[in-house]
Amino acid sequence: MSNSVRPAVTLTGIRKNFGLLEVLHGVSLTANQGEVISILGSSGSGKSTLLRCVNMLEVPNSGSVSIMGEEIALNHRSGHPSRPKYPKQVNRLRERAAMVFQSFNLWSHLTILQNVMEAPLHVQRRDRNECHAEAEALLERVGIAAKRNAFPSELSGGQQQRAAIARALAMRPEVLLFDEPTSALDPELVGEVLRVMRNLAAEGRTMLIVTHEMDFARDVSSRSVFLHQGVIAEEGLSSEMFANPRTERFRQFLRRDGAASH
Amino acid sequence: MPFDPLFLWQTFIALLAGIPLALKLAVFSIAVGTVLAFSLALMRVSRRWWLDFPARFYIFSFRGTPLLVQIYIIYYGLSQFPGLRHSLLWPFLREAYWCALAALALNTAAYSAEIMRGGLLSVPAGQIEAARACGMARVLVFRRIIIPQAIRQMLPGYSNEVILMVKSTSLASTITLMEITGMAAKLISETYRPVEVFACAGAIYLTMNFIAARLFALIEWSLWPERRKTRGPVDLADQKGELHV
Amino acid sequence: MGYLQLMGFGPDGWGSDMLRATGMTVAVASSGFAIGLVFGCLGATASFSKSLALQAAASSYTTALRGIPDLLVIYLFYFGSSSLISGVGSLFGSDGFVSAPAFLTGALAIGVVSGAYQTQVLRGAVLALNKGEIEAGRAYGMGYFLLFRRIILPQAARHALPGVGNVWQLVLKESALISVIGLVELMRQAQVGSGSTRQPFSFYLTAAALYLLITFISGQAFRLAEARSMRGLRRGV
Repeated sequence: MSNSVRPAVTLTGIRKNFGLLEVLHGVSLTANQGEVISILGSSGSGKSTLLRCVNMLEVPNSGSVSIMGEEIALNHRSGHPSRPKYPKQVNRLRERAAMVFQSFNLWSHLTILQNVMEAPLHVQRRDRNECHAEAEALLERVGIAAKRNAFPSELSGGQQQRAAIARALAMRPEVLLFDEPTSALDPELVGEVLRVMRNLAAEGRTMLIVTHEMDFARDVSSRSVFLHQGVIAEEGLSSEMFANPRTERFRQFLRRDGAASH
Repeated sequence: MPFDPLFLWQTFIALLAGIPLALKLAVFSIAVGTVLAFSLALMRVSRRWWLDFPARFYIFSFRGTPLLVQIYIIYYGLSQFPGLRHSLLWPFLREAYWCALAALALNTAAYSAEIMRGGLLSVPAGQIEAARACGMARVLVFRRIIIPQAIRQMLPGYSNEVILMVKSTSLASTITLMEITGMAAKLISETYRPVEVFACAGAIYLTMNFIAARLFALIEWSLWPERRKTRGPVDLADQKGELHV
Repeated sequence: MGYLQLMGFGPDGWGSDMLRATGMTVAVASSGFAIGLVFGCLGATASFSKSLALQAAASSYTTALRGIPDLLVIYLFYFGSSSLISGVGSLFGSDGFVSAPAFLTGALAIGVVSGAYQTQVLRGAVLALNKGEIEAGRAYGMGYFLLFRRIILPQAARHALPGVGNVWQLVLKESALISVIGLVELMRQAQVGSGSTRQPFSFYLTAAALYLLITFISGQAFRLAEARSMRGLRRGV
């Protein structure tokens, strides 16, 4: 399969339980290159867990995960938690699917610039000058170039999240994973992060976004997926889903969580 | 007692002779102890019970018993075993210096291990996750993310431990070593002027500890460019951790 | 002689001596601890006073006594009071060295040293008090003594407990040092026994085990007390 035709991310029949609690009951999702997919749902629906299964921060108990056509080999043993078979494979694929976290998770002992350069330099082993130049460009792009030598603790939430996005981009990933990127931000700061994300989407990046921001989901994502209690209750083109919700559950969800967005 | 500067000066000079030994004991026991402590700390955070439990037992034993007992067991106790008396180690185990060094090192290892463990565990889980999500292998995460932060976190506690170690070297005087306290005890028994001798010896220890505290403040300052404004220079006051003799 | 016989309670056994000595250890440690609490309260109060002199005194006290080895302090108290007593004694015609009672001087020495640590613990506990709750008490008309008894003391006690527990462990181990001035507590007893039977390892190991036992039991007791004092509170961390 040529690179241009390969789906960016394929999740097939993902089941995940934490102890006795089954959180995902067989979820399948395919993200093609260039698609922006919003993953919606109320808390406890399993949406973050689903996203974290993509880069193996959570390991599904059954089902398969593929990134850019390459399937992650898993060891499923009954009675034992499932584990990836080849840690090296996981690390390699993690470079291709970069994640942005709800709580930013910038490394507090490194400056912003160092944060952005860290993975390209030490994981991808790229040339230092190249990493530096690229990091500067990325910081410029997300609008915090002036803060390059500051430490994360000196930045506002919105600035930190933008730095985190720059950090993710620095790895030149093919897919971007966003785990509720604006949920931990004060309302005034949400806009600056969404703006960056909108730009990325406009570029044609493949993005999987777990979010509560209905307006953003409707306007920016090409497809949306609504998770309810561990299964996909509704999915489809964003423009259609939001305009004509088909299921009662999604309708209720829109009313509750989406009401504020109009 | 009238203030006698001449006596104080003579006492001070006499006590200076004990400083090299005290410093040797402190420096070497801390050096060895730190290496041992690091292994113990790793064992404690390893999440493997067969590493964790022995480490726990070691730490519990050495923190739960007085340093004096530990010194006596090594210096006096080991001579009870004919096997040891004829072994290769005997020339070392006979010497008070090596026994004291061993006891001090083993002791500080236990306390330092807990301090290091605290530092290792204090690194926010989110940052470790972010590193893993970038494709960093475990060892790389440990080296680039966990260790740098752990060291910063444990510096205050560790500096306290170093100061306590310097004080602990005084116990070597109980097994005939003539470091500062040993010299002081001898002088007291010769001159019957305990207060002045105490004052001199105390001043020497206070100076050593002051220097150590300043050194650590410097290290903290250099490692932490975004120094927390609330933290003052490393202060004997701050510690809530274990104390020991 | 086998270990069990050595430490047993038979005619040749040292078991009862060791236990008695353990009791002495607990006694001198408790006394030192109590004295230390007194000094700690005084020190903490002084450190919060408006008088700069008192604050400086408290600060010097803590810095000095936490920077000087305990052994040296014990020597000071022992030889110091001995020469004091001998001096007084010579006024009354006795000559030679009259030694001060080891228990008293030892406990005093430990008390003074641990008092320095207690000062810090109590200071920390007072600083950790929730000003809002005290304010609420005042707003409801509580007088100072009532406020102190019902709000300040219980809360300060809760914050102080872990630190105080630590100091107790410290004092317990410090008590071993009093053996050097002749008090027959656990260390000294072990020394006597090992000198007499030429089995130092057995004696010192037993002493270590007994210290561990006391440490363990006290640790559990303090943990219980801490848990009780934290009733109804959610741990912030």
